[in-house]
Amino acid sequence: MATVAIPAAKWNWVPPYPQGRTANNLDADAQLVERCLAGQDAAWEDLVKLHTRRVYSICYRFTNSDAEAQDLTQDVFLRVFKNLKSFRSGEGLFVVWLTRLTRNLLIDHYRRTRMDRATESIEDQVKVLEETTAVLARTDGMLAGREASEVLQAGLQRLSPELRETVILRDLEELEYREIAQVLNVPEGTVKSRLNRGRAELARVLRRHKVRI
Amino acid sequence: MTCAELEILLCDYVDGTLRGEEKTALESHLAGCSTCAELAKDVAGVTAFIETVAPAEPPAELLTRILHELPIGRPADEKRSWWRKLFGGWVHGILQPRYVMGMAMTVLSFSMIANFAHISPRQLRPSDLDPVKIWASIDDRTHRMWDRTVKYYDNLRLVIEIQSRLKEWTDQEQAQSTSPARKQGDEGSKQKAESSTQKTDGSGQKPEAGTSEKKR
Repeated sequence: MATVAIPAAKWNWVPPYPQGRTANNLDADAQLVERCLAGQDAAWEDLVKLHTRRVYSICYRFTNSDAEAQDLTQDVFLRVFKNLKSFRSGEGLFVVWLTRLTRNLLIDHYRRTRMDRATESIEDQVKVLEETTAVLARTDGMLAGREASEVLQAGLQRLSPELRETVILRDLEELEYREIAQVLNVPEGTVKSRLNRGRAELARVLRRHKVRI
Repeated sequence: MTCAELEILLCDYVDGTLRGEEKTALESHLAGCSTCAELAKDVAGVTAFIETVAPAEPPAELLTRILHELPIGRPADEKRSWWRKLFGGWVHGILQPRYVMGMAMTVLSFSMIANFAHISPRQLRPSDLDPVKIWASIDDRTHRMWDRTVKYYDNLRLVIEIQSRLKEWTDQEQAQSTSPARKQGDEGSKQKAESSTQKTDGSGQKPEAGTSEKKR
């Protein structure tokens, strides 16, 4: 009989996702978009300030490069500026629309840079994992904060793009399953299945490098 | 509950949103299936680990950069110049300074090569593009240039001076190496001359007498 040793705190965990974006926030997004479409400069500034962090975070977690994430974030907002007219507030949330736009750019970028990654990724991963081993020796396998972030980055790069984007959108960007399904244009069941596989694969990668999870 | 059904519900279970009979059925399955139990442990462990991860913060200058790049103030259509409307977005990429500079350097390089090979674009014919002809032309030009360079070098005043000085030195050295042999030759000729004068002295008081007579 197998013994399930899952952190006890997880079973009483209340998902923080609905708290992250309240109805007020959603209204604020819709109003902001309206003001942008009306040609108000201040509204554009507010929109960029409000969502830069989210877009950059998705890009950085996916590409594992600060420079590429910055360039992609800039491209995303240029595209938002050009295509905001195509957003219909009645058809969905602005956050979902923005995330889908970001994801499409990331997939384009992923396909475009496939050859570059084939030559660079091995050296980068070895470097990160060597640093990780040194950190783990110091911290007895327990990581948090920036060090955990770096280890997670190295682990995420080992996942396939499909699993990686699902884990990023759910566990890091805290989107709901329904929203992720809209962004990826797949059923919710597929999102959950990918999420389980992504998390399990990530756990194997982290455990292989002696990270205590 | 099957393993496939569990996989669908596992996310909700880890989130803590699964309630009632489904939760009980899932837990009883986990207790009896080591594979699913391992999966649930991994999923929960990774979720807990990711919660400890620091968020990825964008650099402060990124916001400024984005706001600077955005054509805020007017609708996007008005921002587009007439030639961009005419040719579309692809021209934008080509007209970036680095590409323009690259193209300019390429044209310059080709024009220099063509100038060197004495190829005029106006007089260019399809037959001129034959590789054999191009190679022969380049070979001929190279040889001519080499000969011209050698000739120019030989005619330089400095080179001539150096060459003449070197020639002087080699001549002197040769002269010094041949001088002992000449000395020996001189000494031999001197001795011969002395012996001949002695011979002439025996019967030769006549010339001196003759001269004295003349003086008188």
